[in-house]
Amino acid sequence: MSELVVQALRKSFGPTEVLAGIDLTVPSGSLAAVLGPSGCGKTTLLRIVAGFERPDDGAVELAGRTVASRSVDLPPEKRRIGIVPQEGALFPHLSVDRNVGYGLRRGADRGRVAEVLELVGLAGYGDRMPHELSGGQQQRVAVARALAPRPSLILLDEPFSSLDTGLRAEVRADVRAALSADGATAVLVTHDQEEALSTADLVAVMRAGRMVQAASPRGLYLAPADLGVANFVGDTVLLDGTLSGRCAVTALGALAVRAPMPAGSAVRVVVRPEQLVLTADGDGVSARVRDQVFFGHDALVHLELSDGAVVTARSLDAAWAQPGLDVRLAVRGEVTCFSSQ
Amino acid sequence: MSASVLFDDLGPRGRRNVRIGSGVGGLFVLGLIVLGLQRMAANGQLEADRWAIVFDPRTGVPQSLGRALIVTLQAAGAAMLFATLLGAILAFGRLSDHAALRVPVSVVVEFFRAIPLVILILFLFLGARPVLGLDLPRFWTLVLGLVLYNMAVLCEIIRAGILSIDRGQSEAAYALGMRKSQVLVSILLPQAVRRMLPALVSQLVVLLKDTSLGFIIAYPELLQQARNIINFFGSQYSLQLYVAAAGIYIIVNFLLSTIAHQLEKRVNRSGRIAAGATVIAGANEDQTLAAVARDNG
Repeated sequence: MSELVVQALRKSFGPTEVLAGIDLTVPSGSLAAVLGPSGCGKTTLLRIVAGFERPDDGAVELAGRTVASRSVDLPPEKRRIGIVPQEGALFPHLSVDRNVGYGLRRGADRGRVAEVLELVGLAGYGDRMPHELSGGQQQRVAVARALAPRPSLILLDEPFSSLDTGLRAEVRADVRAALSADGATAVLVTHDQEEALSTADLVAVMRAGRMVQAASPRGLYLAPADLGVANFVGDTVLLDGTLSGRCAVTALGALAVRAPMPAGSAVRVVVRPEQLVLTADGDGVSARVRDQVFFGHDALVHLELSDGAVVTARSLDAAWAQPGLDVRLAVRGEVTCFSSQ
Repeated sequence: MSASVLFDDLGPRGRRNVRIGSGVGGLFVLGLIVLGLQRMAANGQLEADRWAIVFDPRTGVPQSLGRALIVTLQAAGAAMLFATLLGAILAFGRLSDHAALRVPVSVVVEFFRAIPLVILILFLFLGARPVLGLDLPRFWTLVLGLVLYNMAVLCEIIRAGILSIDRGQSEAAYALGMRKSQVLVSILLPQAVRRMLPALVSQLVVLLKDTSLGFIIAYPELLQQARNIINFFGSQYSLQLYVAAAGIYIIVNFLLSTIAHQLEKRVNRSGRIAAGATVIAGANEDQTLAAVARDNG
């Protein structure tokens, strides 16, 4: 068992409070993403868990043992934590084999080196030097190096941010597979919501030193804790509405609400662009196409409602929705509401 | 040096001004040299038999200078070895987490860095017996002086080299369960040596040149030996012998720099190049070290 429990963690640098009481529990064997904009304190959280910074208050518990608190400060080399830094930080003067084997005891099972290299898809690369590898391969080696000594926890600090978009998805998927194949507990720090949602079992959103919400990727996307989280984890269409029973009455009609709220109150309604269904003459309210942005896999269509509000719909097949065309717009599924106050 | 971010490249007018300036300056220096040679010729300094003394084995001068070179190299070699070893040890001490070690080491380093080498050597020569109760031969007096001063300078070069390595390197190593000393020796030092090689070598060149201070304690190194020969053959040969001694210093130091340059190229070629990001992160320190090297050289 290698559960990570962070309790009421506080840290200030001078007058700046970077962490204002962080709680986080990562179950053994799962991958948690800490998601937040730059400067929200997520890297500081990671560095405290790793042992490179001391917390002012609160505690970090790993595999049932307190590794950091006001009275305890276990040095990083005794925490059994693997780290995958932003640029990999491979040891440039050591071969891939020696990089990966660095954390293994002398005379330990050298088969482990080959095993983890295999795991990250780099079997047979052991004799290469780090500079002979591509960026993606370097990150894979960094993951293999962190995995090799079978640490209780692996910390990944924006490990894919330096890679090209296409490569990033591929390396991400492989790293995810390698981590779960090895049964590792891992924490991934990132500011990329797509990365967090697609990679993690649990996504913890941080904002200004506080943990705003921790939930499964689906739960987070469908039921964000507040408007900020809703905006941060995906595109949104925001509408004003009034609650009436289990529906919110808006410019797009009466929309089914996911969580019940007191009737009659004024609310902000969050609709995801992919919930908007565009038809030539189907259900829904009428709207006029303004323009659209084509992405290849889909397109975002901007539409003007009868009251002048502009909403965005994501559509897989919008070639027909030419600017100026009058269309029908319906909402599929339930929406999320937040009190306007 | 490639294009710098700090300075714009010169435009056509700037380049023309630089060319004119270089031309005028070059002519001026050339004029001085011609003037000097004329004066020397007028005094008979350029006559062949004046210079023959340096090259003719029958005078015993080449042999004598050769012996002096060996004696110089012995002192320099010993001083380089001990100064580098002690410098590394002091650098580790200054990087220690324990103030009990760090503070005294810092005091020692700053003390010996601040003392003029001449005073250090004179003190060791005059004070070793009465003050320290030591009976130091001239060789060890000179070597000890050179070691004490240069270990302090080399300590700072090595420390700067180690500090210039990206923090991610040591953190990755700590996370893998390595103790501080292991991280220092197996991760930081190998990378730091590559980076600080130019500064290290230029300090060793300075050390070699400083062996000439041995003349103040009559250690028979090159300069002292040249003076002895002048005393024997007469002061009309002063210029020739000092030029010969300087020439030997220049050749030896040039060889040392060349060897270091080759070594550096080989280290780079054997693939011990830091990953892109690390190089960029260390670029500033590299320039700082290079600047230190230029200042010292």
